[in-house]
Amino acid sequence: MLMCRDLADIASDYIDGELTNRQNLSVKMHLMMCKHCRTFIGNLRASTDLLKVHASRQENEELIRKIDERVAEALGARKSESDGCK
Amino acid sequence: MDTSTHPDPQGSLIEDLKRGNSFAYKEAVREYSPGMLAVARFYLDHSSAEEIVQDCWVTVIDAIQKFEGRSGLKTWLHRIVANRCKNKLRSINREVATDFSESLDPELADRFNAKGRWDLPPKLKFHESADTLMENDALSGCLDKHLSALPETQRSALMLYEAHQHKSEDVCNILDINASNLRVLLHRARQKIFLMVETFQETGKC
Repeated sequence: MLMCRDLADIASDYIDGELTNRQNLSVKMHLMMCKHCRTFIGNLRASTDLLKVHASRQENEELIRKIDERVAEALGARKSESDGCK
Repeated sequence: MDTSTHPDPQGSLIEDLKRGNSFAYKEAVREYSPGMLAVARFYLDHSSAEEIVQDCWVTVIDAIQKFEGRSGLKTWLHRIVANRCKNKLRSINREVATDFSESLDPELADRFNAKGRWDLPPKLKFHESADTLMENDALSGCLDKHLSALPETQRSALMLYEAHQHKSEDVCNILDINASNLRVLLHRARQKIFLMVETFQETGKC
């Protein structure tokens, strides 16, 4: 029988739909009977959603500025080369 | 325009990049660099990772001419970064060391009794939606702090899977790990964030 600890171990796989049908069924059966695990799964899912939103907002302005400079320089050099060939 | 090899609107961005359009480069750099940095950080320290990402963009100016659209632009860029990082690691004779042994976080594992039932169950439900929670600046700052404290391998896997929405298969290819190891990295990282949010909600402290 699936215990709470076992469920916590495979909780991300359950959230992402990565379990086999059999595993999925035993998680669902356990969740019907266990309030604590229902709260845990709900909170882990909420944490995952939070991460998605937060991580996609992360930017690195300084790195982007440096890359823009190097790309502009390289594009400029390429253009002068091709102009020189004409 | 031939759209058989790449779907719009990315197709037009790729055509602009091939033409050397500087605005297209600015757009692509802003869109794709955070993910490229996440890939590089899996393999290298922060400053080497930033250098690799900068070098890659310079390489892309020529390499994009040969891009045929067999994969998406994002996956193609991430693979270039990964290959460069792997070459660099080979040149300095180093490997990425990662512990894939336990999927349950030790702090969470301690909350179960010997029979495998909850000893210290989660008390509160996280009611609010992610967008509402993110409006809390203190929580957002706390998330930054805890994301920075994650091992690089966990953070990179998390960034590529959650923020940059790669499929598992692509993350495994880019990071050179197998599917079960990716599952361990993702689960470990999510549990850390779960524990952080729980502490924050219960105590208001980070």
